[in-house]
Amino acid sequence: MIEVKNLTKSLPNGRRLLDGISFKVKKGEFVGILGASGAGKTLTLRCLNGLLKPDSGSIIVDDEQGRKHDICKITKKELRHVRQRIGVIFQGYHLVKRLSVLENVMIGRLGQISTFRSLFYGFTDSEAGEALLALEKVKIAHMAQSRTGNLSGGEMQRVAIARAIFQSPTLLIADEPISNLDPSNAKTIMKLIRPLSENIPVVGVFHQPEMTAKYCTRVIAIKEGKVIYDGDPKLSNKRLEEIYGEELGQVEQYEYSSPVPVMDSEIKLL
Amino acid sequence: MKAADFSFKRYRKFIIPLILLAAVTEGAAIVCGATMEKLETGLARGFAFFGYMFPPDWPAFSEMLAPAFQSILIAFLGTVFGSILSVVFAMLAASNLSHSWVRNTARFLIGLERSIPEIIILILLTAAFGLGPMAGIIALSLGCIGMIGKLLADVIEDLDPVMIESMESVGANKLQTIVFGVLPQIMPNLISYTLFRFEINIRLSVLLGAVGAGGIGYELDYSFNMLQYHRAFTAMLVIIVMVFGTERLSYVLRKNIKMEGALK
Repeated sequence: MIEVKNLTKSLPNGRRLLDGISFKVKKGEFVGILGASGAGKTLTLRCLNGLLKPDSGSIIVDDEQGRKHDICKITKKELRHVRQRIGVIFQGYHLVKRLSVLENVMIGRLGQISTFRSLFYGFTDSEAGEALLALEKVKIAHMAQSRTGNLSGGEMQRVAIARAIFQSPTLLIADEPISNLDPSNAKTIMKLIRPLSENIPVVGVFHQPEMTAKYCTRVIAIKEGKVIYDGDPKLSNKRLEEIYGEELGQVEQYEYSSPVPVMDSEIKLL
Repeated sequence: MKAADFSFKRYRKFIIPLILLAAVTEGAAIVCGATMEKLETGLARGFAFFGYMFPPDWPAFSEMLAPAFQSILIAFLGTVFGSILSVVFAMLAASNLSHSWVRNTARFLIGLERSIPEIIILILLTAAFGLGPMAGIIALSLGCIGMIGKLLADVIEDLDPVMIESMESVGANKLQTIVFGVLPQIMPNLISYTLFRFEINIRLSVLLGAVGAGGIGYELDYSFNMLQYHRAFTAMLVIIVMVFGTERLSYVLRKNIKMEGALK
């Protein structure tokens, strides 16, 4: 479980970026965070694994032994310990492009093995087997030895998920995992993330309300640093307008001037 | 403006700068005593001298091989130790791996090294190590830092920051981040810069040899001083082959480095 209480964060000029964000995510939940750009979604997410320190508030997470840690009041060493079991999937594919797919998955365990062993890429056979299993779960085990830089965007995001699975995490965080993928790849990624939430809490930031409606179990909407909605993933149009502003849903009328007359049939194709 | 406009108006803006440049050049030549007569007599003497050197002393050729090999070894060892030192310095000098004061200190040292020619480093080092290859190797190693260190530090600073963040967020420490994230990504650049530096170090090891680091440079200097011009010519030929050979080798190797997934 992860419990976020009263997170605040301000810019030096006093502008509030996060203004008392609170929510709880239990195991079995796949929570999608929605909100317009600049609303504070990614900021909240970065706080969850300690990449950003909020001004006040607390974030309680369990480690693998069930002990509770407050990420906001934690030493560097403890943070590294807690992070071992927090899987993070970033927007884009921030893998090490010149390492093999398998090695990129292995990186997920770096926090859990000794530094000396990692200096020589010394993973055991059973660890390699587990990494392969993780790759099988995302259906790219056949590419384990390929150079990561040669993979397509969707494949790279699957490697990132395999890395998170290999961590055997107690919490999974995803920062816009499908933002630069085409619709079909995006669906595949959502289908891969969804079952992970059966055993652990999953929190993700998304820009696609239709995706969260379909795959998430709950949606939290953030606007101007405040939680304005927390509940059913299926949002009404009115609610969406509230989240994204008035313009959503209104198709803008363009003055369309084509040099060649466009036939009706062609318009249908468009 | 027309294409073929040769009017005075078009060119008059060059007149004053050219007159100024000519005046300054003339002044500089007078101050350091460079005259046309000296150039003429010098050139004539130079050609005559070349005549004395010809033909090369072929029997001395076999004597040159060992010193030439020594020069190559000095360059090789200097490059190996130098590139290792440079990687360390580059990491200290990269803002995404080091605290700002460490970074600024490292950048200052790199800049300082670059401003001191290798030959001066060698002269300073001979006080401690005496004449010989050891001082040469250390001078060349230090010489790498200014170039490879600076270039690599910039490559490291260009690495994807989220890639490094994503390694930190699985609980990896700094050393692990370097071994798994930084080193693989900078490897093609490192190899390419190191090969290029080896090429430079071959030339420098000849030069340093003449000053006292031993090797083929010393043979050349020694032959000249002993007035054995045919022997000196042989040494020159060996040096040319050596330098040209390593240049080609380094070029071919660098061209074949796979830069897939790397920066640049």
